[in-house]
This record gives sequence, structure tokens and C-alpha cells, in this order.
Amino acid sequence: MKMPDENKLAKQKKRNQSIAFWIFRLLSYLIVAILFAILSFIVFKGIGVINWNFITQMPEEGMTKGGIFPAIVGTLCLVAGSMLFAFPVGVLAAIYMNEYVKDGIIKKIIKQMTNNLAGIPSIVFGLFGMSLFVNKLHFGDSILAGSLTLGLLALPVVIRTTEEALKAVDNTFRHASLGLGASKWQTTRSVVLPIAFPNIITGLILSIGRVSGETAPILFTVAAYFLPKLPTSIFDQAMALPYHLYVLSTSGTNIAESRPVAYGTALVLIIIVLIANLLANGLRKYFGKKVKMN
Amino acid sequence: MSHLDIELQQLKAETIKMWTLVNLQLSKAKEALLKLDKDLAREVILGERRVNAWELKIDRDCENIFALFNPVAVDLRFVLAVLKINNNLERTGDIAESIAKFVINVDTDFDKKLLEITRAVEMYDGALFMMEEVLEAFDKLDTALARKAFQQDEILDDINVKVNTVIADYIKNHPENIEPPLYLISVIRKLERVGDQAKNMAEEIIFYIEAKVLKHRSKAEKKKE
Amino acid sequence: MYKIESKNVDFFYGASQALKNINLAIKPNTVTALIGPSGCGKSTYLRLFNRMNDLIDNTKIGGQVLIDGDDIYAKGVNVDSLRKEVGMVFQKPNPFPKTIFENVAYGLRVNGITDKKFIEERVEETIKQVVLWDEVKDKLKKSAFELSGGQQQRLCIARALAIQPSIVLMDEPTSALDPISTSKVEELIYELKAKYTIVIVTHNMQQAGRVSDTTAFFYMGELVEYDNTKTIFTNPKVERTQNYITGRFG
Repeated sequence: MKMPDENKLAKQKKRNQSIAFWIFRLLSYLIVAILFAILSFIVFKGIGVINWNFITQMPEEGMTKGGIFPAIVGTLCLVAGSMLFAFPVGVLAAIYMNEYVKDGIIKKIIKQMTNNLAGIPSIVFGLFGMSLFVNKLHFGDSILAGSLTLGLLALPVVIRTTEEALKAVDNTFRHASLGLGASKWQTTRSVVLPIAFPNIITGLILSIGRVSGETAPILFTVAAYFLPKLPTSIFDQAMALPYHLYVLSTSGTNIAESRPVAYGTALVLIIIVLIANLLANGLRKYFGKKVKMN
Repeated sequence: MSHLDIELQQLKAETIKMWTLVNLQLSKAKEALLKLDKDLAREVILGERRVNAWELKIDRDCENIFALFNPVAVDLRFVLAVLKINNNLERTGDIAESIAKFVINVDTDFDKKLLEITRAVEMYDGALFMMEEVLEAFDKLDTALARKAFQQDEILDDINVKVNTVIADYIKNHPENIEPPLYLISVIRKLERVGDQAKNMAEEIIFYIEAKVLKHRSKAEKKKE
Repeated sequence: MYKIESKNVDFFYGASQALKNINLAIKPNTVTALIGPSGCGKSTYLRLFNRMNDLIDNTKIGGQVLIDGDDIYAKGVNVDSLRKEVGMVFQKPNPFPKTIFENVAYGLRVNGITDKKFIEERVEETIKQVVLWDEVKDKLKKSAFELSGGQQQRLCIARALAIQPSIVLMDEPTSALDPISTSKVEELIYELKAKYTIVIVTHNMQQAGRVSDTTAFFYMGELVEYDNTKTIFTNPKVERTQNYITGRFG
């Protein structure tokens, strides 16, 4: 066999490598560039209308003037409500799946179902929420119905992140606790959960980001087209940022005039999601340090 | 104190016990020789069994320490030294026994003047003294004391060299009584060996404490060290 | 009277047999080392004594494991109280995400002890027992993660001892520690022997020699040889044992 020329081969290798590197590099730059483009577009368009009044006042004159305060409050209510539902249910379900169920057919089925749940389009959640919560359970268009619908949407995310967090806890911690005569629940509560906590909380906050941006599930369950007052109970309708944005850009009284308000709303929404993400990072680092393994 | 320390300390205690027993054997044999006390000599011969038992025990303990603890550095030198000292002690024990056998075999009308003119008693005392001193050096980790053994050994060698002419003269003068002086010369040779054993043990002690190998060096060199 | 006895013990993970007909008896207040190459079944065997293998799905045991003469796999055995009797220390130091004090108190608390004074006394006593008191007495309220690896492992030993077991199982307790910490833990094992029966799995042959009274050599799920450690290390009866301890394996 004739051996290839070594110098030539080396050159060829080097060239191939640098081509590949450049492709990767460009792609990753592209992602950053797109993100940057979207953000700067929104900021550029929206920053003009943002001021203290914008975030604390009611909308006025067919939503072309005034603020978006009720939409902010509505979104916060929905986020809180959905988490109040999804967090305990999701975490308990994940604990059950990871700590209690033995490997086998049941575990597989639950897992598959959770994955399927995650794959359902959000508009279907909206329809389901409407027929179950709004109509069947007679909650009406309300924060309660919207929160539960959003909660259902967030459930698979919470379950999956919690499960991953629990899985990441080294088994010897469980064995050490059980080895001292502790019960499974004692072990989970006082050893496993504290260790998994930073990762669980990260999952929770990421799902907050997701929930706060959803439009479809709230469309039929809670969102008010225009409601210049704050909700007083969980059975009230409410405005919400993503829906408000949708309304402003598609069916407002005067789409052209309300454009700046729409961009302002988008900016506020993005900032809320961004804050949630930063919070997630900060909390993970903070709690992570507390239970740091060597 | 660590587990290994405890084991090493036990090994040292055992070695000192064996050493004391060997010294006792030697001095009993001397007593028997001076008084031609055959009962005491028999006692020495019985005692040799205990010396042998000690040797086996210390050997086994050294083996276990090597196998179980993998000693290094000073610990390793200590176990190596004990292993060799054990060997030397056992041989010294054999010497005590053979002196005792000589006492049993010799006629009771043994001419005690022989002991005087050959300086056998003086030599015996010297050998015993060496054994005691080297033991103390081992116990107290005193290398200066161990080094004294080298000088002491020279005195024993000196007596050993001179004994030939003394015995030859005696045989010429007492041609009717040849056996006792011949026996005695072998005792003297044995005492000289005791000195050598003590010297070897002193070298082992210096090796253990100072990590210096003094074996096969000339006397002048040893003194310089 | 033996502290631990196993009679014709077989153990299966699913269809594969991990232990084959193990017969072994351990006297009280001794240290027994289980040695052998990875996957020989020694850790599995160790975990039989506090039924830790129960936590793995799809396993099956045959034969008998007796502790103080009672079959711990018999019907009606309370696994929690068995585990109180049989403490365990793991390969990697794994203190709980709690304070130093609470780590040691944990076993007492989960077993329903609430008397504050008793807990405090017991914690102090146990930390002293593992020769850690002087190092931690001023930071009992601090997180256990602030301790060094070696200190953490001694804390884990204290955690296991606090509930006063009579048997302590150790699964390669020093494999994640530096030599100084290792020798501290080894000294501890040697001292603890007076009060406990200790079974230790180790990959470190020298460690088995240093700390144990008896040694069991496992190979491919079988007990090849079980004897006094001195005999195993100076004159093993089976050639395979000799090959293993001299490093001429395979």
C-alpha cells in the first residue's frame, strides 16, 4: 500500500478542521445575532413608551394611551396561580416517580404520558381548559380557570426538571439515611429534597418564564380584551401581557396608533421573563453553594 | 499510637525478653562452668528450648509485620534489624548451651587453674558485659553505647589470639591431661563468637537508628564513624 | 457464638448470579476485610447484612444470613430496626446537607428520639469517639460541607455510630481520601473494634492487612478463601488468593 504524503495529509487535516470550526463558530454567532436583533428591535421600538406611568396606569383611549398595569398584574396573578397548582403537583408526582415507583411497566406508562403531555400544542390546552374549567366546573372566564390551564401546561416541565434534579442526587445519600433506620419519606424530606432543591427551583423558574409568555391557553379561559380595573378575586377575568400584545397588534381600535404601546408591552414581557431567568441562575448558585459537594 | 507502633513496640519488648533470657543462659552457663555445677548446666540445656521458641515467635512476628503493615523507612530498618538480631541471639543461645554441655561432659577433677591462665573468666565477663551493653543500647536507642561494643570486642579477640600459646604450654607441661585444655579452647572460641554476635547486633542497632551500614568495615573506619 | 453468619447464600440480580453459595461466620469484635477484584461480589455481600440490596429492584436471595443467630431475611423482620443495629459507611464521604451537629443527630431524630439533652450528649460522645471533637467543637452549627474530605468521612462514621449499632459495614471507606486521612480512618477502625463488629470492603490490600483480623477473598461471586488475615497474607492456602494478593492476577 502506498502511504499518503504526510505533509500533504497534515495540511489537509488542518484545512478540514478550520472549515469545520468556522462553520460552528458562525452558527453560534448567528444565534447570538438573532437574539440580539430581536431584543434590540423590541427595545428600540418599545423603550420610548416605557415610563413609570406606563407600568402603573390603566389603559386609556382604546388602549392607544395610558399604561398596561392591569395586564402586568393579570400576568403575575396567572403565573402565581399556575405555579401554586403545578409546583406541588409536579414535585409530588416527580417524587413519587423517582423515589417510590419500582422500575417497571407503571413507571414507563407514567413517563410516556408526561412526555406526551409536554408535546400537546398549547392551544389544545386552552380548549381543554375552557371545556373543563370554564364550562364543566363553572369557573367561568376567570383567573382560576386560566391558572389551572397554564398549570397543566407547566406540569410536564416541572415534573421533568424535578425528576432530573432528584436523579442527580447520589444514591449513597439515600442509602446512608435508610441505613440509619430512616423511612423513605424521612429520607426524601430531609436528605434528598434539600440536595435537589437548587435544581428544582431552577426548573420552577424556567417554567414561570414559559407560562408568563403563553397566549393560547389563556385565550378562552381568562383573558379580557379590555378591562381597565384590577381583578378582586380569583373568579374575575383579567388582562394578561401576551394576550394584550396580541390584541394590540391584531384587533385594537386603532392598530397603527397602539403600535408603540404594543412594543412597550412586549418589552415589559421580555424583561419579566429575563428577570425570571436571572433569578433562576442566581438562586441555583446561591443554594448550590449551600449544598455543594466536594 | 498507631496500630503499627503498637506492633513494633510489642516486637521490641519480645526481643528484649529473648535477649534477657539469652544473657541469663550465658551467665548460668558461666556459673556452671566455674563451679562445675552439672545440675545448673542441665538447666541451661533445658532453657535453650525456650530460646528457640522465642526465635520462632519473633521470626513469625516479623513476617506478619512485613506482610500486613508493609513498614517503610525507620520502621522497615527496625524490623530488618530485629530479624537479624533474633538470629544472632539464637546463636548466642546455642553457645550457652554448648558451654553447658562441656560442663556436663568434663570430669569433676578439672584443673581450675586452667581457667585462670587462659583468662577464660575474664573473657567470659567481657562477653557478658558486651551483651548487656548492646541490649541496653537497643532498649534506649543509644548508638554511642552500641559503638563501645566494637572496642570491647577487640579485648576478646586479643585473649582469643593469645590463648593458643597458653594452652600449648599447658599441654607440654601436663601431657597426661590433654582433654580438658582442648575442651576449654573450644569454649574460648565460642566466647569469641559471642563477642562477634554482640558486635553484629550493635551494627544492626546503628543501622536501624542511623541508617548507616557498618558491616565489613575495618575497625579504624568504624571508630571514625 | 458468631455475630454474623451466612449459610449457603446465593444472590441474583435479575437472572445473573452475583453470589454463589457463600458460607462465612464472623466473630464479634473483629474486623473482617472483604477483598477481591471489581465485580467479585464483595460489595453485594456486604450490603446483604443491612438489607441494602432490597433497594435494588429485581433481586433475589437464597440461603440464610444470621445476625446474633436470627435470620434477618425471615418474614416479619423489621428492616428499619435491623438497619439501626447495622451501621454503614460509604465509599465517598456523604454528609447530609445539614450542620455538623445535625448530621450526627440525624439517626437519633429519625428514630424518634426528641430528648434534647440526650441528643446533645450522644452527639458529643460520638464525635469524640471518632476523634473529631477538637476539630469541630467550635463549628457544630456550621454546614458539614465545610469540613475536609477526611473529616467528612469521620463525621459519616460518627453519624453511623450515633445510634449505637453493634455492627459497622464499611464500603471502601478510604478510597476517596488522601493518605493522611486514610491512616486516621484506619486507626479509627482499629480502635472501634473494641465496641463493634466491623466488616470492610477494600480494594487496598495493604489496608486489609493493616486493619483486619480475618480476610475473605472473593472471586466471581465465590468465596475463595476465608482465614486469619495473617494467614492469608503470609501463607494463603489457595493459589488464586496468592496470585491476587501478590498482584499476579489474571
